[in-house]
Amino acid sequence: MTETVGRPWVRADARAKVTGQAKFPGDFGMADMVHAKILFADRPHARVVSIDTSEAAQVEGVVAIFTAQDVPVNEYGLQTADQPVLCGPGSGKPGADVVRFVGDQVALVVADTRAAAEQARGLMEITYEDLPVVSDPFEALKPGAPQIHPGREASELHPELSTEGNFICHHQIRKGDMEAGWAQADVVVEGQYHTPGQEHAYLQPEAGLAYIDDEGRVAVVVAGQWAWEDQRQIAHALDIPVEEIRVIYPAIGGAFGGREDMSVQIVLALAAYRLQRPVKITWTREESIRGHCKRHPMWFRCKWGATREGELVAAEVQVVADGGAYCYTTNKVLGNTTITCTGPYAFPNAKVDVDGVYTNNPPSGAMRGFGAPQGIFAAEMQMNKLAEALGMDPVALRMRNLLQDEMPTTTGTPLAGGVHLQEVTERCALAAGWERAEEGWRKPAAKGVALAGRPKEAMRTGMGMAVGFKNVGFSFGYQENCWLRIELRGEDDIERAIVTIGTADVGQGAHTVLQQMAAEALQVSMERVSLEASDTGTSPGSSGSASASRTTFMAGNAIREAAALALDGWREGERPAVVEHTYLAPETTPLDPDTGEGFPNFAYGYVAQVVEVVVDVETGELRVRRVVCADDVGKAINPEQVEGQIEGGVVQAMGWVTCENFIAQAGRVLTPHLSTYLIPTIADVPERMETIIVEKPDPRGPWGARGMGEMPFLPLAPALLAAVHDATGVWIDEFPLTPERVLRSLRDGGSLLECDWE
Amino acid sequence: MKPFTYAAASSLEDVVGALDEGCRPLAGGTDLLGLMKTGIRGPERLVSLKSIEALEGVERREDGWRIGALTTLSELASPARGGEQRELEVLSRAAAESASPQLRNAATIGGNLLQWPRCWYFRNWLTRCWLKGGDRCLAAGGENRYHAILGAARCHMVHPSDPAVALAALDARVELRGVHGVRTLKIDAFFGEPKPLRENGTVVERDEVITAVVVPRPSRESRGVYVKLAERKVWDFALVSAAVQIEMTEGAVTDAAIVLGGVAAKPWHAFEAEGRLVGEALTGTAMEAAASAATAGAVSLSQNGYKIELAEGAVREALRRLQRTFGSESTGVG
Ligand SMILES: Cc1cc2nc3c(=O)[nH]c(=O)nc-3n(C[C@H](O)[C@H](O)[C@H](O)COP(=O)(O)OP(=O)(O)OC[C@H]3O[C@@H](n4cnc5c(N)ncnc54)[C@H](O)[C@@H]3O)c2cc1C
Repeated sequence: MTETVGRPWVRADARAKVTGQAKFPGDFGMADMVHAKILFADRPHARVVSIDTSEAAQVEGVVAIFTAQDVPVNEYGLQTADQPVLCGPGSGKPGADVVRFVGDQVALVVADTRAAAEQARGLMEITYEDLPVVSDPFEALKPGAPQIHPGREASELHPELSTEGNFICHHQIRKGDMEAGWAQADVVVEGQYHTPGQEHAYLQPEAGLAYIDDEGRVAVVVAGQWAWEDQRQIAHALDIPVEEIRVIYPAIGGAFGGREDMSVQIVLALAAYRLQRPVKITWTREESIRGHCKRHPMWFRCKWGATREGELVAAEVQVVADGGAYCYTTNKVLGNTTITCTGPYAFPNAKVDVDGVYTNNPPSGAMRGFGAPQGIFAAEMQMNKLAEALGMDPVALRMRNLLQDEMPTTTGTPLAGGVHLQEVTERCALAAGWERAEEGWRKPAAKGVALAGRPKEAMRTGMGMAVGFKNVGFSFGYQENCWLRIELRGEDDIERAIVTIGTADVGQGAHTVLQQMAAEALQVSMERVSLEASDTGTSPGSSGSASASRTTFMAGNAIREAAALALDGWREGERPAVVEHTYLAPETTPLDPDTGEGFPNFAYGYVAQVVEVVVDVETGELRVRRVVCADDVGKAINPEQVEGQIEGGVVQAMGWVTCENFIAQAGRVLTPHLSTYLIPTIADVPERMETIIVEKPDPRGPWGARGMGEMPFLPLAPALLAAVHDATGVWIDEFPLTPERVLRSLRDGGSLLECDWE
Repeated sequence: MKPFTYAAASSLEDVVGALDEGCRPLAGGTDLLGLMKTGIRGPERLVSLKSIEALEGVERREDGWRIGALTTLSELASPARGGEQRELEVLSRAAAESASPQLRNAATIGGNLLQWPRCWYFRNWLTRCWLKGGDRCLAAGGENRYHAILGAARCHMVHPSDPAVALAALDARVELRGVHGVRTLKIDAFFGEPKPLRENGTVVERDEVITAVVVPRPSRESRGVYVKLAERKVWDFALVSAAVQIEMTEGAVTDAAIVLGGVAAKPWHAFEAEGRLVGEALTGTAMEAAASAATAGAVSLSQNGYKIELAEGAVREALRRLQRTFGSESTGVG
């Protein structure tokens, strides 16, 4: 036994990163390279009537200017190809002459120097015909609203995608008998909620270098989450065989879902291919914030009923999500919202309707939690309000209704892989100070505080709790898979084990964990395992995306299976022993379009949090004093990294709830800098963070591991808002909790959300 | 970014002679360079003031403090220890609560007073607001949660500086040197009405540089505090701030300066609030009266009404802190 799994190995990339040696996409350069700048539309909805490049082309040093007419197949998109690579006339793709959000790309200017490219970009003459803008999803659904993508076709692959009006997609659940459910309900709680968008704000803005490699392929060095998908989309747009494109991910400065979709990849490849020269691009922070997707803003209308004893009997939930200008992963994100918006509870009767809507806002796409944080927020707000209405302790109410093994969810099937919601809830509550007495659960009494001499009467303390769950993997009928190759070298002993895999390390430490699992599976020491990762030139198969909390689960299983095969070969005397293998996750099904029935996912993770806050009712300021988080990760392959993910997830969620405020006015971004879009600093993070790692194995997870990267994000918002309610007696149903919103809500006695639901 | 040339100044006379529309002075560059990158400002020449020794240093003289224009916010935030430093307490606190450590190391007090508004319509190179020569203030009918509640007419910018608010409470003067000589202006006169395309609403002429800020020495009985309210704990501009400097003689307020930041195009003297305090002891009633008078005349836009409440809260908190300071001193504690 080497026992590399379960130990806090220092990250393989740690030394290179802290000493500045690790190379990120922006750090690459080549001798004869040229520099590119993208001309963004900077207007939310317009037809590009004409493009005049003559003056720009005169600038000394300009090498080429690419526009729509230069893109062979002018479309791309992860789920549906609804976005032009470059917007403008002449590409033959219908609708590609229209820009639909400020970050749409209109031209690529390439020059010997960055300054020349920038200067030439400023001299481009674009004639636009502005079109009416719609930036409110409720307005976008009204008759007569401007149409963002008229005349689109149905998708065979994704039947949930809509062709009607500005609807991107629709999901629904019809379970049980709603009338009977309401008849049983002694208490009904109704609520409306709004969750805002969120910027990923990763450390490293988009950058890349494209060149022709030794084998004549177009190589793109860039940061992404799914190299194989990037490769497919680039090849499609350039209309050349996939093998002629090579995508390489070096060190990646964070992703959080924001690199799931494309940014600079296609235009860089196009320019390098056409010029047969290396081309480099680096976005500014402003370009990054304008240019990539955001978390989906959502609006919820909920009605939940329970018996006097606290048994949940019916839930009705309606959700509208602003998908922005293009689909991105909206249909998948909203699948998760559909199954999470009734919380981790056993409802016999449920009616859920979820719509994604096109607008002229920046596209919404993947971001940590992928639709679940929004769903869990609405669900847990409802649950905490129900506890109040019933006069029950919020832990007690949950313990009575949490899903357990074999209990059907709203999709009619149980959660897969062992359900440990009660364990995380219990462990979290006890650690936070709850008492389990004879008569039931008892919340600890709030303690008054004196902070920096502020008057006691202005400082209100409160404590709140929430529970979350989320699926591992994309699934919903998509066959999750992970390719890898193992090569064992040596004579008597395995001297070197080379693992080749497409999986990206987006900064979460995935490669270290893969190395640990490979060492364990092969029973060799860590030093003998080397990883060749994230290069489609060496990994011909798809290892899937570094997202959806899927990497450890999927790659771990692939390693386990391939290692067994490779060891068989080794024992039979193969030298080197080489195995190429694709792990296939258990099958899932899409949700039935009418009833929502199905078996959408093969694995889940569970999490509970308690948050303590102090609210200054005079100034509206908040201070998060303590967060307790219990997270069932199945098995902590690397406990230190698990802790890091929990702390990072909590802080990122805290930013979403407290200070991050993405503001666009009629589609125009007013917060394109980190001086206006405020992410938390070290002074804002919780004063105390207690992480409880629960290890209830998933029988199908590698060494029992579940996915966990997103889960710590999920319950923070509702737990924090429950704490604010506990402190002030007021339910705030929207955030971020800026001083302005807190003071207004205290004055109004709550949120006054007004949406046009009809 | 527009190409430009750069030179280090050889002397104050040379700089003053060289400055014009296209040739601008550069200090720490923390504001100007950002604006140049986004194309909001586009001078053809930059003259760095950093080589002029006469603009450096903090000196305590008989009649007051002379703070050279190149003094950084870091230097102001952590002055060399010594009893007399307490005289500038309100300014030290305001500087310490500005920006981030890295920015404070580079940012100078001269540049701080002349920094440009953070209004998101002004900073957005795609919009043409009144301050940039357009025909109207876009905040008035737009997104205005961070905008002015006091004294605004054509433009609703708020001045972003923290130190300026403290300097106003200390009754400081700004010393300017131009081709026609030297003049000194009180903070209130230094910040005029916002004017389109002018050095951000100050009365500084094209040929003038700030050489120093001069602060009269507060009396021994005078104490000051700075309270800043923001959306993030650090590294954020004030939603509202209050600089309060009070002199107490025999248990009664003999002089009071109450200045608000984040509410107007310049540090806003709350004269009415000051009037409520003079002659009074720092009692709960007097403090409450002053706090609620602080925003007299405030007019809110669609989203910024909360600043009225915040401003009153900031003044209340500042007075409470001063009450404690004076209280502990008179009982000999601390
Ligand atoms: C992210 C961020 C956060 C910030 N937060 C705060 C905050 O919380 N509180 C706060 O008060 N400030 C804050 N600031 C502003 C910062 O303090 C100012 O940018 C800084 O003080 C400007 O000084 P500087 O020396 O860098 O000026 P520069 O950028 O060099 O110059 C600014 C302007 O002043 C002119 N100028 C400079 N010196 C002179 C002089 N001696 N005579 C004539 N003209 C001159 C320049 O021509 C230019 O127009 C923040 C800035 C940033 C970028």
